[in-house]
Amino acid sequence: MLDVSRVQKELVEIDRDKRISGVSITLHGDDISHLSGTISGPIETPYEGGTFQIDIQLPASYPFEPPKMQFLTKVWHPNISSQNGAICLDILKDQWSPALTLKTALLSLQALLSSPAPDDPQDAVVAQQYNQDYPTFVSTARYWTETFAKRSSLGIEEKVQKLVEMGFPESQVRTALETCGGDENLALEKLC
Amino acid sequence: MEGIEKMMVLCKFFLHGACLKGEHCEFSHDWRDQPNNICTFYQKGICSYGSRCRYDHVKASHPQKHSSTSSNSYQQSTLVSTPVAPGTPRTRSYIPELSAHSKPFYPVVRPSWNEVPDTSYIPDREYHQSLSLADQPICAFAAAGKCPHGEKCSHIHGDLCASCGKHCLHPYRPDEREEHIQMCQKNQMRLEALRRSQEIECSVCLERVLSKPTPAERKFGLLSECDHPFCISCIRNWRNNSPMSGMDVNSVLRACPICRKLSYFVIPSVIWYSTKEEKQEIIDSYKSKLSSIDCRYFDFGQGTCPFGTSCFYKHAYRDGTLEEVRLRHLGAEDGNTVIAKDIRLSDFFRILHL
Repeated sequence: MLDVSRVQKELVEIDRDKRISGVSITLHGDDISHLSGTISGPIETPYEGGTFQIDIQLPASYPFEPPKMQFLTKVWHPNISSQNGAICLDILKDQWSPALTLKTALLSLQALLSSPAPDDPQDAVVAQQYNQDYPTFVSTARYWTETFAKRSSLGIEEKVQKLVEMGFPESQVRTALETCGGDENLALEKLC
Repeated sequence: MEGIEKMMVLCKFFLHGACLKGEHCEFSHDWRDQPNNICTFYQKGICSYGSRCRYDHVKASHPQKHSSTSSNSYQQSTLVSTPVAPGTPRTRSYIPELSAHSKPFYPVVRPSWNEVPDTSYIPDREYHQSLSLADQPICAFAAAGKCPHGEKCSHIHGDLCASCGKHCLHPYRPDEREEHIQMCQKNQMRLEALRRSQEIECSVCLERVLSKPTPAERKFGLLSECDHPFCISCIRNWRNNSPMSGMDVNSVLRACPICRKLSYFVIPSVIWYSTKEEKQEIIDSYKSKLSSIDCRYFDFGQGTCPFGTSCFYKHAYRDGTLEEVRLRHLGAEDGNTVIAKDIRLSDFFRILHL
């Protein structure tokens, strides 16, 4: 059985200092085992200024098993799959400890963004580029951050219009935008 | 009066974190109150647990050497005339617990050559005064909390013990005083530690360990090599976790979830320690308790215990003789000496592939 009271305590704790920590978590409806986290890109990295969404699934034996985390926002990083957002991080696998929390795990992801480990890659293409052509890696990562991880300044109606113009029915566009929290890139992916 | 009295006695079960009566308990669940920790058997004369008794061996008074057969009838009369009604249930009140068996508290005050026993319950002052001050008993009622005779009591009233707040220090017996004060201080420290333990949270479930719903859960699981607090169920759960792919039992599961220091065993305890010595005391008493229980793997010599000579449980044969600890030292290839585990001829043959 999932330790609900521990998860609730963790959520309260994250909510308390989300301004300082730069990580936050939101619930998906009533199911406490399915959450989504947000981290801000660390400064002085190609990810600076971006907001990254992470899908979190809690297994029934949490906290004795690590939470399953995956990037929803597309990221160009050697240890994160550019295709599906899968993360290669030891504490989410064999180095998990029940004393770690969702907050510490999200902070570790933030740390992973600022210090990639290309020798233990998740995405071979990105890792190769990181090792062989670092300037191109930086510019690609920055471009991906600009494109996928930045909330556009457009209002919700403008976003709807933009997507409708691409040829999607308006009602579908609205629900897609709602489920993605107003992120037009995520909504576009859903619609495709 | 009696109601107030009993409520001021700290519940023993609550003290161990296991009172099932909760709010309906007739004893106090307030940490400021003192538990009634006086051994009634010792008060009556003899306690079969001796120094191992968990209750205080306070000598409120001791039997007189001049006791004689004719004293019995006299003692009966003193008993009946004590201010406590004989029908009072013993378990519910504090003072009667001591007085209902008060033979030693009401020593024979009149020598047997004194024909008619006095019906007054206040014993003869003159007799006591004939004894040296150190031989005179102190008043049991005063020692237990309150003496109904007050100033008129023929016994010496003990001095106030600062720790337990009772008049139980014999003014003329320095050894006994010292012993009591030390015991009281030790108790006080234990209470203090328990009070501190109430605040401590398990780092896994993030709850206060001593506030968990069931009594079995209200225990700490101490790790031998570090000082991070967990509740016993969380830490055992983690250590018994089936390792995921790639998870190493020794470096991950046997390690502290916080500092990842390797600990080979977990010690259950109702109390959290504040010093190294306290921790060692908890570990030692746990080990000594286990070493008195027969190991079920060893099974009186009929089975094999996977823990061998490192097992905490008792390895004894049916006739009571203990298993002989024999360690075989072998020279390893790198020149170091290692302790050999069970050596079996069958293993040797298996290597040869016969």
